[in-house]
Amino acid sequence: MKMTKIYEGSHQWIMFGRDDNKPDNIIDSNQYAVRTSNRCLLMDPGGSELFSAMMAAVLHHAPVEQITDLFASHQDPDVISSLGLWDQALSNAKLHAPALWEGFLRHYGCESIEYVPIPDNGGTIKLDSVELQLIPAHYLHSSGNFHVYDAKAKILMSGDVGAALEAPGAPVFVENFDLHVEKMRYFHQRWMPSNQAKRAWIERVRNLDIDILAPQHGRMFKGDDVKRFLDWFDGLQVGIGV
Amino acid sequence: MGDIKSMNNQTKSQFVAVASITSELSAVMVVAKEISLAAANAKAIAFRAGDKAKGFQPITDFINELAKETIELVTNINVYALLLYRLTVDEYRRTAAYNKFELVAKTAEGAMYVESMKAPVEAAKNRMLDCQRQFKRDVAMLLGQLEAVMHHARAARVIAANSRIEASQAGEYLQSLQAVAESVDNAAHTIHDNVQRCRIALSIYRNS
Repeated sequence: MKMTKIYEGSHQWIMFGRDDNKPDNIIDSNQYAVRTSNRCLLMDPGGSELFSAMMAAVLHHAPVEQITDLFASHQDPDVISSLGLWDQALSNAKLHAPALWEGFLRHYGCESIEYVPIPDNGGTIKLDSVELQLIPAHYLHSSGNFHVYDAKAKILMSGDVGAALEAPGAPVFVENFDLHVEKMRYFHQRWMPSNQAKRAWIERVRNLDIDILAPQHGRMFKGDDVKRFLDWFDGLQVGIGV
Repeated sequence: MGDIKSMNNQTKSQFVAVASITSELSAVMVVAKEISLAAANAKAIAFRAGDKAKGFQPITDFINELAKETIELVTNINVYALLLYRLTVDEYRRTAAYNKFELVAKTAEGAMYVESMKAPVEAAKNRMLDCQRQFKRDVAMLLGQLEAVMHHARAARVIAANSRIEASQAGEYLQSLQAVAESVDNAAHTIHDNVQRCRIALSIYRNS
């Protein structure tokens, strides 16, 4: 599992992905961690197939007892089907996830972890002195969906928005936006169901100061590529499956 | 890896064994209800036959009682079988977690915080072993209850034999009463065979 530190300040952001040992027939995914002095938040910690590699990678950055928070942007298996395993590994942790999906996510096994339901209008996660905002992203693509914004690090963890279907071992940052567009187009047109939801999200996100847009699949966007992505997404017709 | 594979195979066969018990027992329940019906039928025939079937009348009460007790026993066993199923699910999850945690500890060799994985590995191992011990205890209890059903099936066969003797003295009612005896005997055979299959499916886990 490749680990890339994408922010280093009073706290850290680490991106995990490009696992060489991942079975070929499951989609590659990016996992993210925010590490503060005493706590560690894992965002979209991944599917159960990925659990061992992911947890082993996290142990380079935090001891098990300091993994205190998990976040699931939505209910998909590549996002959080590992929940039942984290549930047995972590003795003192919370799962922040959409209220809408609580009864569904508990099917993965959630006995010792405390489920903290995120209401439709969002909320915050406080990790030591760091406050992270939970930005509503409903219908992008899931009907109950959130992204995580860190105003200090200027990073938006954007779930499936900005995702791309890539060849194994692709670089972690977009290097040529124009070439990257074709890797994202079908994913967004087919998985995202609502132009209205897309416009509402873009309007909300344009008000945030973002240095890095960090999706759950494919490459991250930094600097001017963040605005390029928002402009491109704005002009894209989604929901093409009907 | 060999150990993990054989552990997973055992869990799979546990799922199959527990599911097959539920299936066999639902068949036993149907047959026990048939015996109950046969008892009601026999009672009506014996009543019509009057003195000619005097010895048969108390037998019908025995048959009915036996059917009722069997239904009760099977209902209780079904509750246990459901608990056993849940335990198998728990064991599957706990075994999977233990295997994955061990892999984490191995993969993370050299990581700064690898030592912190020791406690979760140990806890996962203990939870898995607890589950396995509980499964063995519950299997032993279930086998005891299945033995009680076997006992009922054997009693039903004795009653069927007595019924045949009494039927032979019932004159023109001989055929009807022999048919009752026959159906009780067949039902007893079916119950015996089905319960025996349950016992075989479970017995390998008693001492595994």
